[in-house]
Amino acid sequence: MRIVIAGAGEVGSHLAKLLSDEEQDIMLVDPDSERLAVLDANYNLMTMVGDPTSFTSLREAGVASADLFIAVTPYESNNLVACSIAKTLGAKTTVARIDTYEFMHPENEGLVKNMGVDRVIYPEYLAAEEIITSLKHTWARNWFELHDGQIILAGVKLRDGAPLVGMKLKDFAFTNRHFHVSAIKRNHETIIPRGDDHMDSGDILYFTTTRDHIDELLVLTGKNEHRVRKVLIMGGTKIAIRLVNLGHEEFRFKIVESDLARCRKLTEKCPDCEIIHGDARDIDLLNDLGIADVDAFVALSDSSEANILTCLTAKELGVRKTVADVETLQFIPQAENLNIGTIINKKLLASSGIFQLLLDSDSSNSKCLALTDAEVAELEAHQGSKITRAPVKDLGLPRQLTLAALIRGEQGQLITGMTQIQPGDRVLVFCLAGSLHKIERLFN
Amino acid sequence: MAIHIFNIARQRLINIRMLLKIMGWLLMIEALFMAIPTAVSIAYGEKDALGFVIGLLATLGTGLWLNYRARPTSHHMGKRDGFLLTAMVWIIFSLFGLIPFMLCSRPLSFSDGFFEAMSGFTTTGATILTDGRGYGHGFHLWRALQQWIGGMGIIVFTLAVLPMLNSSGGMQMFNAEVTGITHDKIRPRISQTAKSLWIIYIIVTVILIALLAAGPMSLFDSVCHAFGTISTGGYSSSETGFLQWSDSLYNKVVITIFMFIGGMNFALIYKAAHWQWRPLFSNSIFRTYCAIILAAYVLFAAFIVASGQANSWEDVTIDPLFQVVSNLTSTGYSIPEYLYWGPFTISLALALMFFGGCAGGTSGGAKIDRVVYLLKNLRNELYRCLYPNAILSVKVNGRVVNADLVAKVVAFLAFYVCVVIIGSLMLSAMNIPIVDSFIAALACMSNSSFDPGITLFGSTYATMPTAAKWILAMMMMIGRLEIFTILILFTPSFWRR
Repeated sequence: MRIVIAGAGEVGSHLAKLLSDEEQDIMLVDPDSERLAVLDANYNLMTMVGDPTSFTSLREAGVASADLFIAVTPYESNNLVACSIAKTLGAKTTVARIDTYEFMHPENEGLVKNMGVDRVIYPEYLAAEEIITSLKHTWARNWFELHDGQIILAGVKLRDGAPLVGMKLKDFAFTNRHFHVSAIKRNHETIIPRGDDHMDSGDILYFTTTRDHIDELLVLTGKNEHRVRKVLIMGGTKIAIRLVNLGHEEFRFKIVESDLARCRKLTEKCPDCEIIHGDARDIDLLNDLGIADVDAFVALSDSSEANILTCLTAKELGVRKTVADVETLQFIPQAENLNIGTIINKKLLASSGIFQLLLDSDSSNSKCLALTDAEVAELEAHQGSKITRAPVKDLGLPRQLTLAALIRGEQGQLITGMTQIQPGDRVLVFCLAGSLHKIERLFN
Repeated sequence: MAIHIFNIARQRLINIRMLLKIMGWLLMIEALFMAIPTAVSIAYGEKDALGFVIGLLATLGTGLWLNYRARPTSHHMGKRDGFLLTAMVWIIFSLFGLIPFMLCSRPLSFSDGFFEAMSGFTTTGATILTDGRGYGHGFHLWRALQQWIGGMGIIVFTLAVLPMLNSSGGMQMFNAEVTGITHDKIRPRISQTAKSLWIIYIIVTVILIALLAAGPMSLFDSVCHAFGTISTGGYSSSETGFLQWSDSLYNKVVITIFMFIGGMNFALIYKAAHWQWRPLFSNSIFRTYCAIILAAYVLFAAFIVASGQANSWEDVTIDPLFQVVSNLTSTGYSIPEYLYWGPFTISLALALMFFGGCAGGTSGGAKIDRVVYLLKNLRNELYRCLYPNAILSVKVNGRVVNADLVAKVVAFLAFYVCVVIIGSLMLSAMNIPIVDSFIAALACMSNSSFDPGITLFGSTYATMPTAAKWILAMMMMIGRLEIFTILILFTPSFWRR
């Protein structure tokens, strides 16, 4: 696939690297030559110095023959204009990164489409959705639902004392047929496990199961769920505003923000929520706010370090669920090893949106979740595709991926070696980074 | 192949297993190329065929063995791996490529064979053969083919055919081998870039073979000379070298044109082939290339007339033009008359050899790109003497060049001169006359086989001492890989973290 990415900022360069690993043709356009030089010398992609909103440079970048055009410059209006130009020049699909909800509103969908923007990515919105999911399922690190929860993929950190610790996978599978261990994340590395692998304390295990068996999983992993009502947010950032607007009916939010001007603005944008001016890194302030009674602490300030450390403090002060926004990718594996519940990253969320387009550019039937070094995708098996030709065990699938579950008709079921996938089945696939393109070949 | 951006796990300094595995692939590719002269040798029923079969089997066997035995734990390749592999490839290719030379009907010694093979692969074209007589068709074809592979680059060819290198590791190898200051990609993925370059290269070569075969040359000589021309190598399959063909106006014209093409940036040829002529004609490097040729031609012609050698219209048109292009692109073919044109044309020819063609082409030398950067920077520095506060930048192709890049170019040219001087010092230490030492060092460093007619060794390096041959062979490699790739291996920081 020929992909032109406009804007080599954090999201743009992250996408470019990931998609290049997925064996796509990447052309990265940015006005800053020094930023591009580093990427050009070290990654298998092509760069071009140019203005993303100029007809000349977009033409030169080969937008006319591009299958996908992604505008991820820091400015929403630039992104929209770039998409509009790209579409006029002949790009098949255009994606713009936005930062106002208006462009996503169903009412404006047609208008946005008329502007030449096929899809929008709103990382802050995705982040807010992700946080709400994690507040609903406090015991899981990641939660990915298919088809109204027929199939659920949950990432759970195993602690000492859980019944599963030390068990071999084949023994586990023998006694529990309703679970599929899709991946194990251990010390910075994600592995697709085989029968001889065992489960250790400290591992993050990705279980796939059906809705009816989720309670059993709680017992097996030694977790218990608790309902979240009171949520304390640190930092009145864009994510915080979206989060409050999305979840104000279900949760009671309190925002602590250190910037007074921002606080004033928040009172207007988040009417149903309590705004406190102060520094959430101050333990006295946290105690004043009754941190011990808070059900969840969400750290969304602009500093990844502050978010991680404050979450740790909140845990010590007795908060059971914490969520941290970690924008520095290198910190994520470290943060995951610490005792922080869920980690949010806008870049990964944006990639999820793009990967979905990669898998299925014609329809929005696929769903995708990007983890730090793996991806989860839901795909439809097409008529005559390679995946439908034999039972799973005879397909000779690459080691970097595993088929976890499928939905046939309305019913979800787990996949075993004997399962024969039929056209029209919706399959949940777990794969390591850099192998998504292999899946695409299997399913189309 | 999962690339772990997040993998904090400690990586080895050099992924030696992966390097060996790729080396295995590379040797198999060399064996594939060696099969061509082997087949020709057998077809002509020559005795050399046995040497070729042995060479082929040794290369193929080693390649298969390495590829089978090396089991890399990680596929990751960093900058160090790229540099090391690229440097090793050229040595190992020469070591295997010399086997047929040692086993042919007029066998060469090991040192001579290495010199000859390295000279071939680096498209230097300097030879230790005193004459072409008595060598079989396979022998000549193999020499010509070596230049042709080396012209566009062994690594570039490998990148085009091995999908496994279509990654960042492949990028590092590409950067280590391809000539020039910055490395233009013409397509988004490295394998596509490599494929496009090779397709252009092959098409141009085929056209050249057809054109030469249409003239007085036999098909076999056409193929050998086409390989020597487009790679700007300069080996000849004829008994007396290129001199045998220098009477033919047709050959001179065709070869001049294709040496010129060989000295161009292939990325621009790729664009021109897609009917994008504007990037070609507006490219300031290409324009300088043409301007240098034109200026040198005018000077040559003037001095030919002045020395009374202008006896026919050919003497002032195609002959000087042929000689200028041949020297500038470091091909090294020459016509006999130039010996009578006087000392100025010879020293100018040596200066042209230093310049070289455009980066991204097959020619040697320091490359016109760098000379352009240097001259523009020089002008700025002079201006700054008068106006110390002036903010000046080096502009090439309408874009401002980063100051770091200019510094790198200046460093490169300084290194280039240093290597030539050290090389000539070492040669003169072996009792080789000073002029000979200097010219041999400059020619080998510039990958040119030009014989200025003022040296004792002349057009063949056979009389050089054995140690000198090794030094010159190493200089050819340093010149072809543009210094940094080789010199970096001798720095302590390359081997330490």
